[in-house]
Amino acid sequence: MSKIEEVKAKVEAGKSKLVPGLVQEALDAGIAPGEILQAMVDSMGVVGEKFSSGEIFVPEMLIAAKAMSKGVDVLKPLLAGDGATSLGTCVIGTVAGDLHDIGKNLVSMMIESAGFDVVDLGVDVPAETFVQTIKDNDNVKLVACSGLLTSTMPALREAVAAIKASGLDVKVIVGGAPVTPEYAAEIGADGFAPDAGTAAVKAKELVA
Amino acid sequence: MLTKRQNLMETMKGGNPDRFVNQYEFMDIILEAPMDLPLAPGPGTRIKNKWGITFDWPADQIGSFPMHDDEHKVLKDITNWKESVKAPSVFYTDEEWAAAEAHAKSVDRNDKFVTAFCAPGIFEMTHHLMSMEDALMALYEEPEAMKELIDYVVEYELAYAAEVVKHIHPDALFHHDDWGSQRSSFISPAMFDEFILPAYKKVYGFWKANGVELIVHHSDSYAANLVPEMLDMGIDIWQGVMTTNNVPELIKQFGGKITFMGDIDSGRVDFPGWTREKIYEDTKKACEECGKLYFIPCLSQGLNISSFPGVYEATSEIIDQLSKEIF
Repeated sequence: MSKIEEVKAKVEAGKSKLVPGLVQEALDAGIAPGEILQAMVDSMGVVGEKFSSGEIFVPEMLIAAKAMSKGVDVLKPLLAGDGATSLGTCVIGTVAGDLHDIGKNLVSMMIESAGFDVVDLGVDVPAETFVQTIKDNDNVKLVACSGLLTSTMPALREAVAAIKASGLDVKVIVGGAPVTPEYAAEIGADGFAPDAGTAAVKAKELVA
Repeated sequence: MLTKRQNLMETMKGGNPDRFVNQYEFMDIILEAPMDLPLAPGPGTRIKNKWGITFDWPADQIGSFPMHDDEHKVLKDITNWKESVKAPSVFYTDEEWAAAEAHAKSVDRNDKFVTAFCAPGIFEMTHHLMSMEDALMALYEEPEAMKELIDYVVEYELAYAAEVVKHIHPDALFHHDDWGSQRSSFISPAMFDEFILPAYKKVYGFWKANGVELIVHHSDSYAANLVPEMLDMGIDIWQGVMTTNNVPELIKQFGGKITFMGDIDSGRVDFPGWTREKIYEDTKKACEECGKLYFIPCLSQGLNISSFPGVYEATSEIIDQLSKEIF
């Protein structure tokens, strides 16, 4: 197995203690940092697909993301300032009135693993905070809004409306248990994802 | 007309119920039993319970959450759990038990089950002590420490169960532990078998060995992939089963071994602008598709309440109406 294949396999298997060493070995073997990063992003794509299909569960996704993060730590000094490796910035948060964060955290993790820089606003985020954060950060390409409660669906609508009304050139993706593709379209979101794996795929599509 | 208890047993055993079992009607839950706080007591409150877990219930929310920022998280490193986690005492004074004992004695056990209440569950306790992400990753990264922590929680629950049995002699148990999101279980069945199943075999085995005839387990989630485990640990009724589980199919597959209580998703019907028509629509669909046996129409909520006033009562009235239409 080549070094790059080994890195991919260990990221997918969530071996966070092994991945940094393997990344270093790959670098030592002359493989470009960008290529190693792309291999790990590809691994997380596989992880996301397996999660979406029910083949793996949340813990497997979490440890894979952690393994990738450890690998990225090794690459970071070599990638610093290399904007070409980022897909842009994604602002993410759970909408106003809703404190659920588990699903949002998984989406945040998977979007970051797909190659975005992530600004995570946490939970109970007012619509205007999403808008202000887009203005305050460079290169924001995507906003991801989450809502778990039926009772906070109006807040999701308000968040999307405020972002769209701001005239800022960003795509908006929404998700959460009660959100359907129809509802996402109705409130003017650019995309919808039913789970964290799909969210990462959709996020890349939206900014392509 | 059968008593509530008789009607439940007919439903569970595939006999001849004369109406739908109506939500929680067969359980008289002894909520006066002294116990550690499993959540903040109401909107606008924040409490720290005896495990040291801080729960916050903001005024404008419909539930409370354990706090896991650095200041509030009880367990920051699973490998040091023995230093961080101290179970509270399970012993309460006779005065503290008095109201629960009086309630239990007042129940006509021919009509209803005297029901003990336990929350949070064992899995929930792990992710109350630390964050969900920490708890789930620890299952992979520090499995032995997690098993030790789970054993510790089990020992606490067994000790508490002994006190409950001594004071109120329950013949049913209503036990919380959410095992999934709305679309999947949090962990795989294999991981569940390794960590959670053995714990519940001990706990539910103890309750059943001490007079409890009926184990009602609450998980308002997807958990269809865990039904074999539910059977193995002795669950009689899965309460909170959501529509995402395909309940009619589960009844076909497991009816006679377990009864499914739910199929009316609270999230779809229990909100500020709720309507009787919407509840009727969802409840009728549930009753027609699931049938008369091995099924109890019920909101997925984990007690005989609703988040918004009137929804639970309206649902009960509609189930009575559907009993007249369908039986």
